Amino acid sequence: MAMGKRWTRPDPWTALRRIPAAACFCALVAFLNAASWSFITPPFQVPDEPDHFAYVKQLAETGTLPTSSDEEYSPEEILVLKALRYPELRLHPANRAISSRAEQSELEEDLRVVSEFPKEGSPDAGVATSQPPLYYALESIPYTLGSGGTLLDRLQLMRLLSALMGGVTALFTFLFLREALPRARWAWTVGALGVALSPLFGFMSGAVNPDAMLFTVSAALFYCLARAFRRGLTTRSAIATGLVIAVGFLTKLNFVGLAPGAFVAISILTVRGARSSGRSALIAPAIAAAIGCAPVVVFVARNILSNRPTFGIVAGAIRTTHGSVLDEANYIWQLYLPRLPGTVNDFPGLSTARQIWFVGYVGRFGWLDTFFPNWVYTVALVVAGLIAGLCARAIVAGRTALRGRVSELAVYALMMLGLLVLVGIASYREFPATEAPYGQARYLLPMLPLLGAVLALAARGAGRRWGPTAGVLIVVLFLAHDLFSQLQVIARYYG
Amino acid sequence: MRNVKIALAVSLGMTAVAIGLVLSESPVTVLASKSVATNEVVTVNKRSATACQADERLPRGTLAIRLSLGAFTGPRVSVAALSGTRVVTLGERGSGWAGQTVTVPVRAVADAVSPVKICFALTLAGDEPVPLYGSLTGPATAARSGKGEALKGRMAIEYLGAGRSSWLALASSVARRMGLGRAWSGTWVALLVLMLMLADTTLASRLILRELDGDG
Repeated sequence: MAMGKRWTRPDPWTALRRIPAAACFCALVAFLNAASWSFITPPFQVPDEPDHFAYVKQLAETGTLPTSSDEEYSPEEILVLKALRYPELRLHPANRAISSRAEQSELEEDLRVVSEFPKEGSPDAGVATSQPPLYYALESIPYTLGSGGTLLDRLQLMRLLSALMGGVTALFTFLFLREALPRARWAWTVGALGVALSPLFGFMSGAVNPDAMLFTVSAALFYCLARAFRRGLTTRSAIATGLVIAVGFLTKLNFVGLAPGAFVAISILTVRGARSSGRSALIAPAIAAAIGCAPVVVFVARNILSNRPTFGIVAGAIRTTHGSVLDEANYIWQLYLPRLPGTVNDFPGLSTARQIWFVGYVGRFGWLDTFFPNWVYTVALVVAGLIAGLCARAIVAGRTALRGRVSELAVYALMMLGLLVLVGIASYREFPATEAPYGQARYLLPMLPLLGAVLALAARGAGRRWGPTAGVLIVVLFLAHDLFSQLQVIARYYG
Repeated sequence: MRNVKIALAVSLGMTAVAIGLVLSESPVTVLASKSVATNEVVTVNKRSATACQADERLPRGTLAIRLSLGAFTGPRVSVAALSGTRVVTLGERGSGWAGQTVTVPVRAVADAVSPVKICFALTLAGDEPVPLYGSLTGPATAARSGKGEALKGRMAIEYLGAGRSSWLALASSVARRMGLGRAWSGTWVALLVLMLMLADTTLASRLILRELDGDG
């Protein structure tokens, strides 16, 4: 399709009917999985959930944003956290969730009492305070719908909205795979189901946390870019891409890490289009860039007009607070990879790739305090090695086709690099007091569509005869991993 | 393709068997602890450190020792239980753990031993401090650093081993607990989770058969 194609009014029903049934089923699997996690994980036993709940409470009850990053929650939230034994449970894997009728009665009494408290929001929302408001605005819908019930009713409804977002993430992952790997129809299902059944994804999508929506937005962005690289950037797809970028900026600050890759993609598509269609091809990319940048422009303008730092909290995150830029670069490198010869060792005795990221992905639930036994991670490493080997085989076999898609692959790599660097910069701000405070695998889950691609390629790497069989084994492996993760969390909180 | 159906049946069957085996095992429970509170910081380790605590009782069947150490990116922890100079059991936990306790698996202890001295060593990954939680005591009963200096008090230590009942036998009480402390309470919450995951398994299986069977 030519770039800058004439605008026709989109028909949403036609677009929805074009979504393959398999994609919808993958979405349903992801939603059910996240919903299951939402019922398993005790209230507020997910990283930062009390902060995110406080943000929604403030927005829904007062219509204003939180103003302080302290953790002095509202009296309503504090009383319920106490009744749930939140401080005793968090980071204390030896302790269990409330388990007696007496504790339950006390909780019910507290919930009844706090329901009569005035609805004055929560100006303090801890780490959530600095985040953009879109996810919280959406979560204020179930919050308001549940306002006739208890605080825990509202929390559960909010968790189910996150689970719904989890379903949409799987849907976009499927659609991304359809565009990125068009010749392997059966492998799309393998990749999307693998993502839908990833336990860490289910755990985070079953919680009140803007990560859930960030996963959805990034999956949508991957889909838009893959589609544009394959079919060209039409006016309609440019608007969609721009909107996805704008939504990303309004969802979570971490999207800043993905954005440079997206804008480079738009630039590449502009050059390509200009070569084939001349200047008229510049319109669609300009639309995408303008819509995508709009939230940033509004944010910067507001900061300038109100005498705040131009880039707000983002500027603070990028500024080096200690050490040189080289020290920071060395730290970020070592946060993911083995250190280079002649550099200072920032993580002595720690293999960051394995002990932070791999272990974190395979299983660190609750407040990162719920682990599998050590041998599980060793077995998982072997299995991951096999999957990586099969994926590499598929890449080698398809290297001729890949040569024509170098720029597209470079964009995905840049998006990943941007995210890794952003997480590294944030971690370095608290180093060395804490080794790797943002060393949490959930921060890498915006890359889930690439995981889906790896799984789809691994299935294809098993060859034409054994590919579908390998695909079945991969999906069941992820299903089993998910089931055992849920059992592990059940054992930790209710055993 | 027949291969797809066989692979699905075999892999789902193996998963079911594995779940059955896990549920037939007993959960790890606390065999003994000295009821030392964990509300005080006994010491803060900022460099690779060792410490020992005397007058402990190591129960029969101990499979792991839980120490009250706190970290976000925890260092490698080695633990040894000594009776005089004899090593009764020892174990190690790799770095990367998080929380305010760390559980270190040890060689199974065949018979109870008392008194024993529990010693641990930390190989710190960097400058992240690792506080040791316990309760304040006089120097005579306090834990001691590797250099023999008395710390501020005794650390909380728990000895873990296999419980008496299997997970299957405990299923009803686990289901009852799952129904507490949440929006809509009741044992049905556990049943709902079970139904959701059965539905997920069925959906995923049907989708695999539809999309992978006969193609490729």
